[in-house]
Amino acid sequence: MNSPATGRAKSARPMIIRYQGVIKRYGAFQALSGVDLDVHSGEVVCLIGPSGSGKSTLLRCTNGLEPTDGGAIEFEGAPLPRDERALRAVRRRMGMVFQSFELFPHLSALENVAEGPRTVLGMDRPGAESRAAAMLAKVGLADKAPNHPSELSGGQQQRVAIARALAMEPDVMLFDEPTSALDPETIGEVLNVMKTLADEGMTMVVVTHEMTFARRVGDWVAVFDVGRIVEQGPPRQIFEAPETERTRDFLSHLGWNG
Amino acid sequence: MNLDWSVVWQHRDALLAGTATTIVLTVATMAIAVPCGIVVAIMRLYAWKPLAVLATAYVEFFRNLPLILVVYWAFYVLPILTGVGLSPLATGLSALALNVTAYNAETFRAGINSIRRGQLDAAMALGMGRAQALRRVVLPQAMRRILPVLASTWVSLFKDTSLVSVIAVTELAYVAMQIRAQTFRVLEMLTAMAVIYWLLGYPQAKLVDWIQRRFAVTE
Repeated sequence: MNSPATGRAKSARPMIIRYQGVIKRYGAFQALSGVDLDVHSGEVVCLIGPSGSGKSTLLRCTNGLEPTDGGAIEFEGAPLPRDERALRAVRRRMGMVFQSFELFPHLSALENVAEGPRTVLGMDRPGAESRAAAMLAKVGLADKAPNHPSELSGGQQQRVAIARALAMEPDVMLFDEPTSALDPETIGEVLNVMKTLADEGMTMVVVTHEMTFARRVGDWVAVFDVGRIVEQGPPRQIFEAPETERTRDFLSHLGWNG
Repeated sequence: MNLDWSVVWQHRDALLAGTATTIVLTVATMAIAVPCGIVVAIMRLYAWKPLAVLATAYVEFFRNLPLILVVYWAFYVLPILTGVGLSPLATGLSALALNVTAYNAETFRAGINSIRRGQLDAAMALGMGRAQALRRVVLPQAMRRILPVLASTWVSLFKDTSLVSVIAVTELAYVAMQIRAQTFRVLEMLTAMAVIYWLLGYPQAKLVDWIQRRFAVTE
């Protein structure tokens, strides 16, 4: 059900991630039943669809947090390694942001962001902390550096989590429903940070229920249902002229009418 | 009844020395049982299957035996097993450490399990290995969470050290019983012993209460 690359603005750029027939099972439950998707450099690819349709599972397979049961995932031309040590090297280059933030509660905001550079990249403390301070400033939270996560609002925590991922200077950012656990009034500040990242040319794969974000910021949108992509294409196609009944159905349940 | 409290003052040096031994036993037991407890807990949770089974067997064995039996067991069996004659103090310490390590292992296991999966995911997503993620992210949080339980174990241990008096370790209970046997001042010595244990134990219990308030988890 792959749509042709017409209207895919950044399709001439090098491919960063390629999913081919990806299959994932949890016991008898088939979470992914053959997913094909390409992510090009600098693209924002949004994964939308009902809960439990496999979007988050695909994201977790992308950096090997979940092993796949079939098909292939390629990162920068090489298949995702099975070996833990080699996987770690890949994960360093993919930042991940979680629905429930998953900041480290025993560390301050600054220490949270400096943790990766210190532990994984082996930077010294001053170096890691000055990079962390720069990342916090980038997400607009320079003044929250000494605060612990419990002292921050949900939106602020998620921005720290984005800074933590950016501190590894990744090639790709993976977002797993980054605004689903937020109060409505703090969703905007997180989406703004993501929009800025997209404008700077960061490659992003975003699982989201924020249709406005997918439409305005996304370069490519994939609609999931029961472990498959039922339609993919540029946002204009998905939101204005969906080709499949399932996409129309999903969007109408969200009250979306173009 | 004819009471003579001067017997307590006369034997103050012996009682003080016994008290010191009690404190040393408590501190030394915990100094062994905390790191060993962490190792056993991690073996149960993450090690190669046969090792995990061994760790589980160890915990279930020592957790379900009366401590006094372990003390006797260490006294009679350890020299045969190791071929080395240990001093009563070392034997008592071994028995206490075997027992408390088993308890601590369960405490650490519960603590590690209480840290939600997402924390490990977040650490691994940064590129940490499992051991690194445990050390840098999971264990520090688990430690804070179980500190109140460890503190309670400490207070219990402080009193339970009296059980090693049965193998003639000269800690507070043994010393007091010896003086009782020599002077027949039963009530005085039992009272003195109770007062010393209580005076040392009560502040510890208060400290535990304080720790429980201070380290209440906020997320």
